[in-house]
Amino acid sequence: MDDLSLLSDLSLFLKEKKANGVKIVAYLAHDNIPEELLDAAGFFPLRMMFGGNDDLMDASHNFLPPSTCAFAQSCIGLYSTKPNIFSFLDLVDFFIVSNHCVSDICVSEIISKHFNIPRLDFYVPYTKNNSSLKYFKLELLELKKRLEAITGTEITNEKLFESINKYNEFKRVLLKVNELEILGSEKLKVLQRAMLYGPEFQPDLEKFIQYVRENPSSLLETSKDILFTGCSIFVNDNLVDLIEEGGGNIIFFDTWIGSHYSSQIINDSSIQTEKDPLDLLVLKFKDNIYGDHTVPNFLEQKVALIENYYQKYTKTKGRKLGVINHIIKFCDHISLLSSFLKERLQEKGISVLNLERDYSRANSGQLLTRIEAYLEMME
Amino acid sequence: MKLKAFIGIDIGSLATKIVLISEGRLIDHRTERSTYDFKRIGHNLFDDLLKKNDLNREEVFLMSTGYGRNTIDIADDRVTEITAHAKGTQFFFPDVHSVIDIGGQDSKAIVISKKTGNVVDFQMNDKCAAGTGRFLEVMAHALEVPIDQFGDLALKSNKSASISSTCTVFAESEVISLFARGASKEEIASGIHRSIARRVAGMAKRIGVGPKLVFCGGVAKNPAVKKYLEEELGYEIETPEFPQLTGAIGAALIAQENNTN
Ligand code: SF4
Repeated sequence: MDDLSLLSDLSLFLKEKKANGVKIVAYLAHDNIPEELLDAAGFFPLRMMFGGNDDLMDASHNFLPPSTCAFAQSCIGLYSTKPNIFSFLDLVDFFIVSNHCVSDICVSEIISKHFNIPRLDFYVPYTKNNSSLKYFKLELLELKKRLEAITGTEITNEKLFESINKYNEFKRVLLKVNELEILGSEKLKVLQRAMLYGPEFQPDLEKFIQYVRENPSSLLETSKDILFTGCSIFVNDNLVDLIEEGGGNIIFFDTWIGSHYSSQIINDSSIQTEKDPLDLLVLKFKDNIYGDHTVPNFLEQKVALIENYYQKYTKTKGRKLGVINHIIKFCDHISLLSSFLKERLQEKGISVLNLERDYSRANSGQLLTRIEAYLEMME
Repeated sequence: MKLKAFIGIDIGSLATKIVLISEGRLIDHRTERSTYDFKRIGHNLFDDLLKKNDLNREEVFLMSTGYGRNTIDIADDRVTEITAHAKGTQFFFPDVHSVIDIGGQDSKAIVISKKTGNVVDFQMNDKCAAGTGRFLEVMAHALEVPIDQFGDLALKSNKSASISSTCTVFAESEVISLFARGASKEEIASGIHRSIARRVAGMAKRIGVGPKLVFCGGVAKNPAVKKYLEEELGYEIETPEFPQLTGAIGAALIAQENNTN
């Protein structure tokens, strides 16, 4: 299952969707976009989660300064160069303009405007007090109205409950993938595929989990275990291969592609008692302690989550665990907090490698040196 | 067959260094430009070292390190330059706490555990020539000063021109315009050395370096960078007898450690 086959399969999958009259909504925002609402309206939510390379980053400079995050640059590069394997992006009917970060705001606006894709706005508050939760609900209502106007069909509560349950179930299965004891690269590919295809991938996920349980991997003894945090590893990025080449193995993805997404499960008792399904989406937003929108306690939560996992893992497995904090160059909120995160975890005896990089392949040698040196430190 | 010696080869982007260690003593060493053909240079240096010291291939263990550590196929094992420098500086200064290494293409800061002698943290500069030997080379060229006299020239001035650009290309034009505005070569040279020292010291402070700090790598031979680094850090720093060899020595010592227990 390499990246190219993933992308060509996705292309076929999206073409089929279009042929069946399904509209595709793409977005960059890493969390808090209500995919259940899009699904209930009959749209297919497509996350932009594709990593870049030198050419894609260069191609974005007609639109963005090179000091924009490397991921955002690559997203623009994908649209402005349209590499063949990404031609499925032509199928996108709407682009959600959101505000996960400054790059998100700029890039989603640029894509919508310069590549003529009608926009849907969805702005997310940064805090979780009563007023911001009310505001979040208003945004949900706006989006709902907009989607209904496009399709001419009402999104009934019944449909929305159905979608919420569907995504809930899907995430429960996805959570189990992150816990499997397999090679990190294999796990990442499954997580990426699942997050691109959505709940329709659930039967394959279940089969995969079953297969791994029946055929446990024996690869893990020699490599060094890594908890991976910070920016996600997107499709087509070779970082996970570099980590494995250096002798490491990511055993847990504490990133948006990984536990942040799959942990956003709405509890069953709320689903049973809540009358308005939009309130369930508000609740999901409120309870999302994993995403970078957990202001003002983002750093505290992050330290606590990592420490918790670390203690549990080292105690139950009796193995050392390293932490790699991945910082995509110019991803400001991850980058600004990285030295504090490292300091705080080091105080607790947890060593951290802050790995800042862009998608340039030219510095893979230096990247590998940093990874290997960190793994040697763990010996 | 019993191993008689341990060889460390540090294949840097500009120079390849090789050392031979036996019973914890530095017996022999060589340095040559890496050129584009890392592998051939490495093989030649290795063969030469064996021949001169009357050793067979089976009697030695070869550990590679440095930028080109993966390219030399005859190595028995490899280690990163971070771990190698940490070990190599302890050969000269057993009580070292931190290391700053400024090489041709990169610079790094390393903090070593006093208890275990192992690396506890490190930082490398990111894909940028500023803060490396390359920066000094480009600037020396712009001022038409031989690189081996550049540091001494800087120390002749008690004033430093201010170089604000962190990018080598912009700094080069800044230097030329300073020259045009009548600043002396000495002042500009001093400003250039200060700028590299400030940049590297900033990176090093971020990971908590402290005394005893050992300065190694090719640039450690430059007296002005050393002096300004001391001023930036606020304490005296040490330079080993062979600052360019610490990586190779470290690799050989690690080979010795791994094979004698
Ligand atoms: S990588 Fe960081 S800066 Fe870039 S879009 Fe994602 S969150 Fe925003």
